[in-house]
Amino acid sequence: MNTALSIAVSAVFLVASLICATWARRAWCVTVVGGLFAQLLGAVLVLTSAGTWVFAGTGSFCGQRLVFEVDALSAFFLVLVAVVGGVGAVYGSGYWSESAHPRTARLGRLWWSVLLLSLDLVLLARDGVHFLLGWEVFTLAAFFLVTLDRQRSEVRRAGWLYLAASHVATLCLFAFFVLLSERTGSWKLGPMLGHDELAPLFWLALIGFGLKAGVFPLHIWLPSAHANAPSHVSAVLSGVTIKLGIYGLVRFTGWLPVPASAGWVVVALGVISAVLGVAFALGQHDLKRLLAYHSVENIGIILIGVGFGLVALGHGGAAWGGVALAGGLLHVWNHGLFKALLFLGAGSVLHATGTREMSRLGGLWRAMPWTASLFALGAAAISGLPPLNGFVSEWLVFLGLFDAAGSRGPMAWGAMPAAILLGVTGALALACFVKVCGVVFLGAPRSPAAEHAHECGPAMRGAMLVLASACAGIGLGPALVWPAVARAADAWRPGELVVARPESLTALGAAHVVLALLAGAAVWALARKASRAGMVRAVTWDCGYVAPTARMQYSAGSFAGILTEWFGWILRPAVHREVDAGVLPRAGRHASHTPETVLDQVVEPAGRLVMRLSGAVRRLQHGRVQSYILYLVAGIVALVAVVAAGTPP
Amino acid sequence: MTATLNVLVGLAMGLNLVALGSSRLPGLIRAVALQGAVLGVMPVLMHAMDWRVTLVAIATVAGKGLVIPTLLRRAMRAANIEREIDPFIGFVPSLLLGAGGTIAAVALAQALPLLPEHAGTLLVPGSLASVLTGFVLLIGRTKAISQVCGYLILENGIFLFGLLLIHATPLLVEAGILLDLTVGVFVIGIIVDRIQRAFDTLDTRKLTVLRE
Repeated sequence: MNTALSIAVSAVFLVASLICATWARRAWCVTVVGGLFAQLLGAVLVLTSAGTWVFAGTGSFCGQRLVFEVDALSAFFLVLVAVVGGVGAVYGSGYWSESAHPRTARLGRLWWSVLLLSLDLVLLARDGVHFLLGWEVFTLAAFFLVTLDRQRSEVRRAGWLYLAASHVATLCLFAFFVLLSERTGSWKLGPMLGHDELAPLFWLALIGFGLKAGVFPLHIWLPSAHANAPSHVSAVLSGVTIKLGIYGLVRFTGWLPVPASAGWVVVALGVISAVLGVAFALGQHDLKRLLAYHSVENIGIILIGVGFGLVALGHGGAAWGGVALAGGLLHVWNHGLFKALLFLGAGSVLHATGTREMSRLGGLWRAMPWTASLFALGAAAISGLPPLNGFVSEWLVFLGLFDAAGSRGPMAWGAMPAAILLGVTGALALACFVKVCGVVFLGAPRSPAAEHAHECGPAMRGAMLVLASACAGIGLGPALVWPAVARAADAWRPGELVVARPESLTALGAAHVVLALLAGAAVWALARKASRAGMVRAVTWDCGYVAPTARMQYSAGSFAGILTEWFGWILRPAVHREVDAGVLPRAGRHASHTPETVLDQVVEPAGRLVMRLSGAVRRLQHGRVQSYILYLVAGIVALVAVVAAGTPP
Repeated sequence: MTATLNVLVGLAMGLNLVALGSSRLPGLIRAVALQGAVLGVMPVLMHAMDWRVTLVAIATVAGKGLVIPTLLRRAMRAANIEREIDPFIGFVPSLLLGAGGTIAAVALAQALPLLPEHAGTLLVPGSLASVLTGFVLLIGRTKAISQVCGYLILENGIFLFGLLLIHATPLLVEAGILLDLTVGVFVIGIIVDRIQRAFDTLDTRKLTVLRE
């Protein structure tokens, strides 16, 4: 089976899934999974054979000749689309089922197919028009998926914000592609490194793709959209669609020349996104919104890797750049896998309890052991703990940063703080996920909803299992995925960047396997001991209270209190407290909430200013016919004046 | 010939000022009707007796001098409206604007590159002055019927300009314009009645809530 055949099969299956989306649930599931499996196969073939697959059709579409190409970089992202898209489809058939959502289940399937097809179009297109077409369609498909549950007003609000932000991004990309085609004379895309005059276009691409990827100051749409979408949609949004922003950035920095400062700007944005993303995540009380902010953080980590790849171009394509870029790219896969796993886990929690509010959950591991343990695995992976995949990619990025810091030159001064801040990010992420797992799954239930939780169905559990085993697989066998990552990094700018395999990679894999075996043995020994000696359940130390209640547990806010205080300057948490300080205090209240600082303090005031200015202009439109005629006369007189002034006497 | 024509154009320009200065609707309608009739005679004066020129002249006099004013008067009576004109721009400022517009029109016409046979006539300044007067009426009056009058004077100005080209313009176009005008006024007559019934007023200022 060769690449062309598998991609053709995939296309046929996905188009067929469009047709059966509305009336045949099972057929849809089969066609989607089958199509994505074929796509996975084709992409893996490209990644293993080091070749590229090109399809140059004779027909044209939208006035441009149909040209598709799958090189290692496209194939790398196609793998992610295939895995997360397929797993999300299976999960969605249990989570957003016909019986629970009779009005929107079929629409959800239809838009899912459209989303997959348009994502593939973006990845395969080698023409500006087709790229923009795919980009716009996938934005719209994602909008309809986000607003599936549009009876709720916050879903509609999140959807509109997403649509508006996406269109700002699309606008930048339109400008980018139009200027590009104007300067090169054609819409064809491909390497054009000789044209140094194209370098300034990088800034347009950075805004357009950065908005889509959710880079820190441009992330305003991301938390609400990812939190309010159905969970399998959140998984694909966070796991795949924001990665398309990274794809665009990597693709076009590879094809076009970039300004000299581009690398450092990307690194700076990456560091800001990573640190502030996790800081905002710490302040959240909503499970899915917290996960959404971790997407911002992980995009930051990816950008640090990509940025150092760009910086290395200016230093003769040094090997540290290659390792950092490979780490960033591998983190694309890894984040796609564990973030999808976490969103699916959050979806199971939401499905079982009906709330995303962490202060209403607690003690769920008893009722949902599968979800709890799979979520914990995802949490360990995203926190960058060995022996899972998050550690592998962060370790590669660190390796690049350390090598850069060790080499003499100006980049050492940039790599050192970047490495330190990346370490801080990892530590904060760990703290954040200790908070999530502790508050949601451990302790005692805080509300009746959490008490009556139930485990999710087999489709949902199976989907999570696939992702979890992929996370563990990459963690235990990093040497197996390295060739694919190295080919993708090599396809970025062939021959310009040294992508050498770090010597310690095999040792890392072996250490991970040993660690996993040791952990397994420890768990086994503990379980054996517990079963032999028998277990006695008792309350933990209750500080001497006579009747401890579930409300006395650490809440999400109190657990992260110290850390959020550190970041109070940007988080600006809103705290309402009514505490009676008398000898015999009455009932008190304490509530804290982390607002969307960038949205509330920057975007909204700017929007209000624009509205006020437009309101002033709108006063011209008052409905008096007489004044309209006056505008007309003034316009004619002005035209006459212009013509008279322009005519030579 | 040219002298008589100029006298008539001068008369039309004077009627512009009368229209601007009249404070009651019947007076305004009378001024517009008279101007229409004066304009209707002009083609005959300008050109040799030709069957199509005569036809245009008769149709114009009948349409602008009789039919349209009759329609307007009927609309006015049917709607039973106040006969006082309620101006945005007062009568004295309107007159000043009209006079200034007339002077500006004469000055502008001097600057335009006209054919030698038209250079001596007042046709172009008269036309421009009428157009300006029409605009002043449209902008400065509030009653629907006075706005129709402003529109008619505006159209008269265009007609005056069209006289320069009467041989180049096909008869069909002339007839079409006249027919459009008549039907337009007819329709407005009906609308005026409806507005009066629906809103109990013809003051266009009170119709602003319909803007969107």
